[in-house]
Amino acid sequence: MPAPPQDARSRVARVVRCTPCGADAFVLELDPGEELAPVRASRFFMLRREDGTSPLVPRPFSLYRQQRGNLEFLIKAMGRGTRALVSAPAGSKVRLIGPLGNGWPTIDGDGPDWVMLAGGVGSAPFWMGIEQAQQGMDGKTPVRKQQVHLLFGAASSDLLYDFKGLAGLGVSAHAATMDGSHGHRGHVLSLLAQLQASGKVPERVRLLACGPERMLEATAHLAFERGWDAWLSMETWMGCGVGICNGCPIPTRAGGPRAGWPNVKCCVEGPVFHVREVDLARRVGAPT
Amino acid sequence: MARLSVQLGPLVLRNPVMSGSGTYGHGREMALMCPPRHLGAWVSKTVTLEPRPGNPMPRMAETEAGLLNSIGLENRGLEYYLSEILPSMRDLDTLVVTNIGAECVEDFGTLAARLDGEAAVDALEVNLSCPNVGGGRLPFSTDARMAAAAIGRVRAATKKPLFAKLSPNVSDIASIACAVEAAGADGITAVNTLLGMKVDWRSRRPALATVQGGYSGTGIKPVALRQAWMCCKAVKIPVIGCGGIASADDALEFMVVGCRAVQVGTSNFSDPSAIGNLAQAIEHALDQACIADLEQWIGSFDNPRALAGA
Ligand SMILES: Cc1cc2nc3c(=O)[nH]c(=O)nc-3n(C[C@H](O)[C@H](O)[C@H](O)COP(=O)(O)OP(=O)(O)OC[C@H]3O[C@@H](n4cnc5c(N)ncnc54)[C@H](O)[C@@H]3O)c2cc1C
Ligand SMILES: Cc1cc2nc3c(=O)[nH]c(=O)nc-3n(C[C@H](O)[C@H](O)[C@H](O)COP(=O)(O)O)c2cc1C
Ligand code: FES
Repeated sequence: MPAPPQDARSRVARVVRCTPCGADAFVLELDPGEELAPVRASRFFMLRREDGTSPLVPRPFSLYRQQRGNLEFLIKAMGRGTRALVSAPAGSKVRLIGPLGNGWPTIDGDGPDWVMLAGGVGSAPFWMGIEQAQQGMDGKTPVRKQQVHLLFGAASSDLLYDFKGLAGLGVSAHAATMDGSHGHRGHVLSLLAQLQASGKVPERVRLLACGPERMLEATAHLAFERGWDAWLSMETWMGCGVGICNGCPIPTRAGGPRAGWPNVKCCVEGPVFHVREVDLARRVGAPT
Repeated sequence: MARLSVQLGPLVLRNPVMSGSGTYGHGREMALMCPPRHLGAWVSKTVTLEPRPGNPMPRMAETEAGLLNSIGLENRGLEYYLSEILPSMRDLDTLVVTNIGAECVEDFGTLAARLDGEAAVDALEVNLSCPNVGGGRLPFSTDARMAAAAIGRVRAATKKPLFAKLSPNVSDIASIACAVEAAGADGITAVNTLLGMKVDWRSRRPALATVQGGYSGTGIKPVALRQAWMCCKAVKIPVIGCGGIASADDALEFMVVGCRAVQVGTSNFSDPSAIGNLAQAIEHALDQACIADLEQWIGSFDNPRALAGA
């Protein structure tokens, strides 16, 4: 049975600060008490306040940034769990379980260009994804500026969390909003089609996507249609994050590399899956 | 300093802390989060004869004071357990309890017979009480005759210590406890989850795909404590308390009413390493209360005078 990663620990961290970001999110900065080795982008942590104000079960969040020994999370206020976290006062204690999950595949500079599709708070795992790809991952060729295209989509411009900061990392960055308040009007995949039609993005690409379920479904569909490689950073309800509750199944794809069992555990076998591994069509009741 | 080891039927546990089935992995997965030697015993997720893919999503939902689940006993079946998991458990530095589940008496017998020869298995826990199969009908834990039939069949198939895990979804748990004792159980685990459900009135949808599921965690502690106490009073075999236990205080509440050990379930999700510190916390609490002899103190709730002069 898949175990939590070797470097995962359960520890108590201190809140350094919690700063608003966009209309409904916050950047929660935590001091983990001891320096963690660099964490691969799109790995995550389970977080829960220690003072009794959080629900029983901790909540999963991608690592947004790791700097000065501290960990930052981009958290969109949704329900009880996220609201408790974003209102945690400086100095208060938070249970920090991780780092968990697998993270992005090797984002290298050797094959087709990379297109990063970020939907709303799904932009969180891309900040470090860009930084690590530029530094070179797993000993592979670092990506150059023009090899990575970040397409950030949201309902409106105030939900493009720190788009400026992301764009400032030195990639070709484009925004799409449903209401047209910033950049392309429409979703990220219609933006991709437009960029490819105008020659700004090459015809053959590799996709990395994180965002709402419908965006991931459309991404998987497109990848199959064109024969592109695509990896999805998936979200499910998670009870534990470490593989012990069986609450995070994602159906596997018939005939795919994981077809030996009907489900994978998103927490310990993901959250990043190649589109050939999972079957989003059989996924009912996923968070939308 | 308090001595923490407890006698549990034919077994001696180094401390009374056990993991709850289905909440702490299937094999050695959690060894890095909690050194196995910190546990009195470790309990597997339910193993069934055939592989079970489990129930559709969503399988879990949180409520005000607990958790609802309808995992549906997802596991890869007995053959996989025997070939892929058990070999790695041989040198685990704690007792290994394999939890088994089935939908008919014959399958309980087959499971027990196959596990009987496995040296890595120190005891069997018979899950009579999963609410997430067969539509929550719980045939083996609501009918004393059925419970006895299942335990009798397991008893006939194995010499290993065997614990019957009971359901709180009954009006008279004592009668079930007596039935499994008479059928040869060496102990009782009380309790599994309570049947419950959660709905969203706006969307008119249930939170779980199966509509109803098992309720666990902090909110069930008073119910579980009462059911465990009823069992303790009804039988002579040892009772393992389970339900909403998260702290040393919780554990000692179950022990003072007569439980000889405790299992920690849902609280493992809040902090997967906490169970490894629980025995030490219990020892500390006992020292603070000047209780040196845990064995003698267990169950003193019903008869405080038994401890006079202690
Ligand atoms: C691997 C992973 C990484 C994530 N990274 C981030 C991140 O970086 N930033 C961020 O803001 N959020 C992230 N999420 C989503 C975040 O975990 C949920 O928003 C959070 O659990 C909601 O908890 P709540 O108590 O506030 O909401 P609840 O009261 O539990 O639910 C409120 C709403 O949120 C939805 N929801 C509940 N759980 C999840 C979930 N696990 N994923 C998505 N939606 C959910 C529910 O369907 C409901 O509509 C991530 C999820 C996963 C699985
Ligand atoms: C997610 C989950 C899965 C469970 N799976 C099993 C199982 O496979 N077999 C079993 O006997 N009990 C199972 N249980 C029940 C627990 O072992 C325990 O009896 C119950 O949850 C009450 O204890 P708690 O409140 O400490 O969780 C499960 C409980 C949860 C929450
Ligand atoms: S979240 Fe518990 S097994 Fe994946």
